[in-house]
Amino acid sequence: MEKQLLRLTVNGQEYELYINPKTLLVEAIRDHIGLIGTKRGCDTVSCGACTVMIDGASVKSCSVLAMQAEGAQITTIEGLEKNGKLAPIQKAFLDHGSYQCGFCAPGMIMSAQALLNENPAPTEWEIREGIEGNICRCTGYNSIVRAIDATAKGKYAEVKS
Amino acid sequence: MINDFNYLKPGTLEEAFAMYAEHDDCKVICGGQSLLIVMRQGMIAPEYLLDIKHIKELNYIKFDKKDGLKIGATTIHRAIEKSDVIKKNYPVLVAMENKLASIQVRNWGTIGGNIAHADPAGDPAPVLIALKASVKFGGAAGEKTMPLEDFFVDYFETALSKGELVLEIQVPVPEPKTGAAYQKFNLLESDMGVVAAAASVTLNGNGKCKDARIVLGNAGPTPRRIKRAEELLAGKVLNEKLFAEAGKIASEDCEPVADIHASEEHRRHILGVLTKRMLQKAFDEAKA
Amino acid sequence: MNKYTVINPHSEFKVINTHVHNIDGTAKVTGRATYTFDVKLPNMLYGKILRSPHAHAKILKIDYSRAMELPGVMGVVTGKEDTLGIKQGIWRRYQDLCDEQVLPVDKVRYIGEPVAAVAAITEEIAEKALDYIDVDYEVLPGVYEPLDAIKKDAPEIHEGFERNINVTRHIEWGDVDAAFEEAEYVREDWFKCGGQAHMCMETRAAVSSYTPDGKLTIYHSNQSPYYMQGLMAGVLGMREGDIRVISTYVGGGFGGKFELDGAIFCSAVLSRKLFKPVKIVYTREEDFIATKRRTPMFYYVRTGVKKDGTFCAREAKVFTNGGAYTGMGATALYLTGFFHSFPYRWKGYRYDGYRVYTNTLPSTSMRGFGAPQAMFCSEQQIEWIAADLGLDPIDMRRKNSHHEGYEVPGQATIASCGIDQCYDEIRKWINDKGKLPANRAIGISACGFMSGGIFNWFDTPYSFSSAVVSINQDGTVELFVGAQEIGQGSNTTLAIICAETLGVKIEDIKVHSGDTDYCPPDLGAWGSRQTLMAGNAVKMAAEAAKKQLLEFAYAQSGFNIVYDLDIKDRWVHAIARPERGYDYGELVKKAIRGKDGQKIVGRGYYTPHRKGMISPAYSYMLQGVEVEVDEETGKIKLVDSMTAHDCGQPINHLGLIGQLEGAFSMAAGYGYLEYMPYEDGKLMNPNLVDYKMIRATEMPPANIAEIDTYEPEGPYGAKEAGEGLTNPTAAAIGNALFHRFGIQMKECPITPEMILNALKEKKETEKERKGKK
Repeated sequence: MEKQLLRLTVNGQEYELYINPKTLLVEAIRDHIGLIGTKRGCDTVSCGACTVMIDGASVKSCSVLAMQAEGAQITTIEGLEKNGKLAPIQKAFLDHGSYQCGFCAPGMIMSAQALLNENPAPTEWEIREGIEGNICRCTGYNSIVRAIDATAKGKYAEVKS
Repeated sequence: MINDFNYLKPGTLEEAFAMYAEHDDCKVICGGQSLLIVMRQGMIAPEYLLDIKHIKELNYIKFDKKDGLKIGATTIHRAIEKSDVIKKNYPVLVAMENKLASIQVRNWGTIGGNIAHADPAGDPAPVLIALKASVKFGGAAGEKTMPLEDFFVDYFETALSKGELVLEIQVPVPEPKTGAAYQKFNLLESDMGVVAAAASVTLNGNGKCKDARIVLGNAGPTPRRIKRAEELLAGKVLNEKLFAEAGKIASEDCEPVADIHASEEHRRHILGVLTKRMLQKAFDEAKA
Repeated sequence: MNKYTVINPHSEFKVINTHVHNIDGTAKVTGRATYTFDVKLPNMLYGKILRSPHAHAKILKIDYSRAMELPGVMGVVTGKEDTLGIKQGIWRRYQDLCDEQVLPVDKVRYIGEPVAAVAAITEEIAEKALDYIDVDYEVLPGVYEPLDAIKKDAPEIHEGFERNINVTRHIEWGDVDAAFEEAEYVREDWFKCGGQAHMCMETRAAVSSYTPDGKLTIYHSNQSPYYMQGLMAGVLGMREGDIRVISTYVGGGFGGKFELDGAIFCSAVLSRKLFKPVKIVYTREEDFIATKRRTPMFYYVRTGVKKDGTFCAREAKVFTNGGAYTGMGATALYLTGFFHSFPYRWKGYRYDGYRVYTNTLPSTSMRGFGAPQAMFCSEQQIEWIAADLGLDPIDMRRKNSHHEGYEVPGQATIASCGIDQCYDEIRKWINDKGKLPANRAIGISACGFMSGGIFNWFDTPYSFSSAVVSINQDGTVELFVGAQEIGQGSNTTLAIICAETLGVKIEDIKVHSGDTDYCPPDLGAWGSRQTLMAGNAVKMAAEAAKKQLLEFAYAQSGFNIVYDLDIKDRWVHAIARPERGYDYGELVKKAIRGKDGQKIVGRGYYTPHRKGMISPAYSYMLQGVEVEVDEETGKIKLVDSMTAHDCGQPINHLGLIGQLEGAFSMAAGYGYLEYMPYEDGKLMNPNLVDYKMIRATEMPPANIAEIDTYEPEGPYGAKEAGEGLTNPTAAAIGNALFHRFGIQMKECPITPEMILNALKEKKETEKERKGKK
């Protein structure tokens, strides 16, 4: 096995990694780059805790080799806030209590954001489908659905003065 | 824990063919949504991994009214689900994709990878076979095309020979007065099917059945056509009774395997129910 | 999407029951929250646990010399060489119930039990090293079901436990036989209830660091840092005070994280041997096969009633699958029997529970603590009795329900009870729906639950809960609690109580929890105890601090002493003259000066006294679930739900809604999805592909009608919420199926195949009956 040089762009920042090619994207993000907001909850691409956005689309970062993400724009939970200001979806999660233990929240929020990127006015069912790849053991999901719905309706949009 | 491997990343299809031919003990990764799981379980431990995910030449959806639909192997599921041209001409494919795992998986997983993985519970194959799809595959030595139903050989085994990749899925233009439907029985909305059934029905000008296809998913080692039931329907004026009879045949002519989620008997029963329902649905669509 | 209504709301509060964001929310939605899973210490090693492939075997020899030769392997520990071999358990007051060596010395009793642990410089090397540890076993015959294990010739799992009976529990009141004599209708049924995995999103994880000065620091994902400290001191032969347990953010608990697990124990033993921090994180598969689970039960219930629906007597016999060790099973066994009587008045009641050892994953507490199983059986049988007698099931329940002032003989006194209004709310919800489509039906189910246990099997000399309030010179408040935040929102709830009591704003409160070095001892997060017990401690601490402030305010004010002073919204004022006041920050500064510079500190504690056998207070609820059934496939889907719920005075508004919705989803999973099948002691679905859980697309609306009552023992009238609601749903689903098809579901989770089998059976019985005619 030969280690390989990988240039990975995460949250707009390019990182140069020298890794074993079997390294999963989630491992590159957490263990090599040190962005630990992204979690892992299973080994079977089932739980969605490791969800990140690759070029704006939600992907489970445990299901992708880091090498495969070269050249793409990766966004993690740390990349959503701007200059200390939370993204609307983050504010909505706060305001609706859409997390409890919080372990699924980073992945859940990335799924929600990706959904809204693609479909700014989702129906309730589309919202549910948008997060069905993410397991939350605490909330029962409905508060998450409400938060995404409220975000889509512009409740947490930045008001320009 | 994934075993170490050497990573090969060809830039073009030609390079991919060459690399694949050159390396023994080489496995192909595309979306890897299933492959990485079995690699993590240590069930597959190749020396080389050939990554074709980025090969642009295989990433396309094309349609024309003569040749029908062509989907490149590295096309992601989500692109199929969102394709207007597929939605218009093959709505059953869109409906099937919409229930295939989660959005995250559909955003990275590919149609070629799914077909090559040959999981008998995979969603696309039964639908595609019902739509009379073919698969184009090949390598450095050349290409060939065969009906998709002949492509699956056994559990997780296909007609691919060493050095060959799945290249394209081809779906003919449906004949007029054709309907198609697919449904899986599962415990969760987006889950793998415990069992599944696809059906297509084409009607003659006189309203009789010109042609019907019934394909079961996870009802044996490979997607399974129920020809005895198809023959029963051909040439007849279709009705509920015939669909029920076809369902009964389907539940007899399958070989589902029991596991913790359902007994063999339960699976056979459900396959019968789904067959009946999908035929009805396809028939209703064909009539409309 | 969801409707939330409040029946008879109170509104005199400034912070309580207002829309307060979770105080750790920003950390959680931005990825800043650092769980044990994320902890990385300098010089840290990674540990992995070698697990038994056998359900029952003697460990003859462990040879790890080959593993030690692998580059990067730093050490291996075994039970025999590196532990004191102490049998431990959370019931540490009772030696015979301390039966588990986390690293067994000579015998394994379930598949997945730890056998040895290895530490290496990477997780991968540690994992590889497991293949190089050679263990000789003498395989023993195993037994996996309680009704087999209780047989005379069954293999002996623990020495000296005849017929493998681990614990028995007997509850009885009234003259049961006489009460049955009074009954005009008696019905008996057998049920089978499944297990359930806690399935915390954060798997069991620990980072232990033992240093040459003899101190041990452990980061650990758990529900009670104090218990961990105490238990670890016991098994390591250390002093509690030399062990620090830190559990700042915990990725879920649900009753599965307050006993020692392999991660904490093995990492600590490795660290003590190697003097380096060692991190162990369970894989999802390990978390399934080698933690603990909800207790599977075989349940016999016999109930006698009068023809008018008056409940007379009930007896129950329960055989539970205890698995290999006691865990929290003894408590769960009692609570099963106790809550099986809820929420009704029985003249005579008798319960006999037998917890039986088997060679499977140990069972233990899980959200609901034995009650979900009890309610699955009880609430279905009650529905069937109502049907048998042609009575309205709501009226029949209401007629026999607990009420304020009722005494469960010898067990509990009910000081607050809103169940009566729950019946009205659910009736209204059902009536508003009108006629349902043919493929749908509604089932209901009632229950009650405790607000913390009055049990001290842990034998703590400390108060059950303690809190310290310390006020800074700028008026900000440091609240130290031993209560444990595991996502249920306890830090927020306690901050709300603190802010309300002190008369300050929620943002003035900083909560410190999850660290045994800085926080006062507290039994932690289990049995729905924190709102009431820790809440009372916080209220007392805040009152003590406030009293000091008001004394200064009084001294300054020159008011007639008949005037009452208060602080609300940071405004110090006489209650009679609220407009004449001044800023609380000013008062704090002066008060601190007046105390020669000491901070204002208040202490509070809570230990229940004279509150019966079980709990100081009980919540009540009634749930209705609308279920859609595919008659041909047996597939069910929940389409709507309504819960009428009495938790006393709600404290944390968002937290309450979240707890109720979350409990409902877990309960629904128990009702129809989450099964744990074993074959010869091996769990057949130890992964999230095959272990099915409710996802967003399965979840129906979870409407809530909160009945606002006042519980005198609770802080501001509050009691339990969020655990009790794990109890009713499985029965409600069963009852919906009963109403739709007339089938009786006696096993849970209720799978499509069971539904079809029940339908088939019913058809056959009907055919037979017709044939006879």
